[in-house]
Amino acid sequence: MSEHNPNQAGVTRRQVLGWLGAAPTAAMLPWDPASAQASAGTLRVRIGSDVGNLDPAKIFAIENQTVAGHIYNGLVKYDQKTNKIVPDLASSWEISPDGTVFTFKLRDGVKFHRGYGALTSDDVKFSLERILDPAAASPYRGQLAAIKTIETPDPLTVRITTNGPAAGLLHKLCAFNQGWIVSRKAVTEIGDKYAMQPIGTGPFVFDKWTPGTETRVVVNKEYFEGAPKVNDVIFRVIKDETAAAIAMENREIDIFFAMQQPEIIARLSKAKGITMMDRLADNTINLVLNTTVKPLDDVRVRRAMAHAMNRKALIDGYFKGTKSEASTVLTPAFVEYTDDVMKYPYDPAKAKALLKEAGLEKGFKFTITSVGLSPYDKIPVPLAEDLNDVGIETTVQVLERAAYGQARGKGDVQSCVTGLVGPPDPDSPLVSLFSTKSFPPGLNTSRYDKVDDLLDKASRTLDDQARYAVYHDILRKTAEDQPVIPIYQDRLFMAYTDAVTGLVQNSLFTVYTYGVSFKG
Amino acid sequence: MLGHVARTLLRVLVTGIGIVTVAFFLMRSIPGDPATTMLGDYATKESVATLRAKLGLDEPLWRQYAMFIADAASGNLGTSVVTGQPALAQVLSSLPPSAALALAGLAIAIAIGIPLGIISAIRQGTWIDVTVMTVALAGISFPVFWVGLAGILVFAYWIPLFPALGSSSATDFFTQAHHVMLPAIVLGLSTAAYIARLTRSAMLEILSQDYIRVARAMGVRERSVIYKLALRNAMVPILAVIGVTFAWSFGNAILIEAVFSRPGLGSMLLKAIQARDYQLVQAGVLVLASIVVLINAALDLSYGFVDPRLRAS
Repeated sequence: MSEHNPNQAGVTRRQVLGWLGAAPTAAMLPWDPASAQASAGTLRVRIGSDVGNLDPAKIFAIENQTVAGHIYNGLVKYDQKTNKIVPDLASSWEISPDGTVFTFKLRDGVKFHRGYGALTSDDVKFSLERILDPAAASPYRGQLAAIKTIETPDPLTVRITTNGPAAGLLHKLCAFNQGWIVSRKAVTEIGDKYAMQPIGTGPFVFDKWTPGTETRVVVNKEYFEGAPKVNDVIFRVIKDETAAAIAMENREIDIFFAMQQPEIIARLSKAKGITMMDRLADNTINLVLNTTVKPLDDVRVRRAMAHAMNRKALIDGYFKGTKSEASTVLTPAFVEYTDDVMKYPYDPAKAKALLKEAGLEKGFKFTITSVGLSPYDKIPVPLAEDLNDVGIETTVQVLERAAYGQARGKGDVQSCVTGLVGPPDPDSPLVSLFSTKSFPPGLNTSRYDKVDDLLDKASRTLDDQARYAVYHDILRKTAEDQPVIPIYQDRLFMAYTDAVTGLVQNSLFTVYTYGVSFKG
Repeated sequence: MLGHVARTLLRVLVTGIGIVTVAFFLMRSIPGDPATTMLGDYATKESVATLRAKLGLDEPLWRQYAMFIADAASGNLGTSVVTGQPALAQVLSSLPPSAALALAGLAIAIAIGIPLGIISAIRQGTWIDVTVMTVALAGISFPVFWVGLAGILVFAYWIPLFPALGSSSATDFFTQAHHVMLPAIVLGLSTAAYIARLTRSAMLEILSQDYIRVARAMGVRERSVIYKLALRNAMVPILAVIGVTFAWSFGNAILIEAVFSRPGLGSMLLKAIQARDYQLVQAGVLVLASIVVLINAALDLSYGFVDPRLRAS
């Protein structure tokens, strides 16, 4: 643990005095990067944006979800490595043969942080009903729409009854967003300030939020799966990726989360003592076409556009190969994924032929609306160029985030760029993008209506293999119709220094440091 | 003196009300509101309506404004819709890092800018003048985030004198000072360029005045001419620009804050605007406006000390 010397709280007095005094002295006493190490066993994780709300009913943004993931548990959770649904607060569960009654047995002796008492079935009921309460205005209410009643026959048993067979319910109850379990007592007592004073059952206890700088969580020694091996975790806000890369090379941070820039990925991949991890994400980034406006209502036009865009060049050029080609909105991270669908390789001649067939050899005017966040503001540009080359006169409109949300929400834009970052729940992208229930409001801004019956069938099919087959049908149908053109499969990059070990990368776009320890 | 303070406070009040009114209506005229921004893509009409009602956004605009002014008059600037914390407290907590950066930057800017300006004025037309003014022009022209990144690369990586991160949660003074140095130098250098150019032109103007020529003709030592007669009179415009840049660096240090991962009023305001966190934006704008007005008031007072001619008025 020599690198984590407890009496190294940054720079020494002598060094600063030396620096303040005479330049030559300062040059002889360079700031020793190793002295940046915080106290023993403090893990420092870079996040790109500040934390702001850790209440599961309201939570959004990967930074909040990352911190919350350290504080809360769900009834069940995704295994970080395999994405399989495994026990969390529930030690076991039973599903009735008709798929409408879910009975969970809770672990005994799980305690909430800071003396808020033992976890009981009442807390689970409270947590889920809080999401379902229209007055709470939780954005995740729709996720639990299948739930009819929640009963608590005894303090360690929760019985959830659904409106009909609900094959996807376990996904919704996984430890993420609406699935995180809160304490009735804590939420009631803390009130409005709960958003930044969260109480959970997880491996870390929320300690302190320093706005704009960092969020600190400390070890929960009583954690039911065993205490974490570090003393505390500091989630440090570093917006600029270049600054974060230098901070990592200086060992001012241990883990670099949410790396996006291809140049930074290349730089840190080569750096000494730094390990680069990458994993295929759950999400794709897509061009969503509005199928209710002419001429996008013609499937030949949509296919022509898919053939016209050189998506491989975008991946190889702009992204320097850090993303992968996509043919559907699911990625191989899902067990429901299939690659056996209609594909649209780059073929401008075929695109022109299809446009001619649709009577549009003169092309048409087209606008891609996107959000002013990197890289979504940049990727439409080469795609627009490609579309122009086959005669589709394309302009790119980039809007600020809230304005973009409003423009997309109205549903009258020709196209928009949408990616669904989230858990490996196939309904998350498929229902959101293709169900008629998902507009308005929602993300089915292509107003696609051809797979409602298949989505319904999937949620009623309890047998895994049979259900996967239904999802394959959905992917094939949507690939044929192309209401949504997948641009690329996202890939997540994260790096850690040789001071730490045991980090497992998930596909959820969060970082979870429970298994991490310091070497030495 | 008391009358002056009262006038200043009144000015803070009037400016504050005016600027908060502008901020209030400007925020509400841009697309999106806190309810839609918070609820995101999965929001239903009902959940948006419920949240809007809870936040009082369904009231007519004039009513919201009246309620806001009434609350503000009693010192209550509301609660951030995102974090649930009191807006004013959150804004005030972002002030110390902003003030530390602004003050340290200003000290560096003055220490570099004024001597360079004087030297190039005295040596007008020589290679020294040309060099100083060229460097100053470069200092103004280079974007501050570029200088910041270059500074990190050189002074935190190649020559590791400073940490790459411009802030630390440690509370001891030396750690804090060490972290603020590099961002302060970057901010100071860009401000120093302005101050140097302004000092030079102010000095040149004064040095061409008749009374300077008379003083020189009467054999007053050149040192006294420069520092006693010329610099003192040149200080008024210099002080004015120092005041403006100081106030400016509170809000506009945002690029430096972003590059050096420092908290501060600027980055807090930007995030609040993106989240349509009305209460936080209003509190932030009010505090920022008060700082600007107070600094300008302090400057007005200081002119009197520098230039006796301004005391009478």
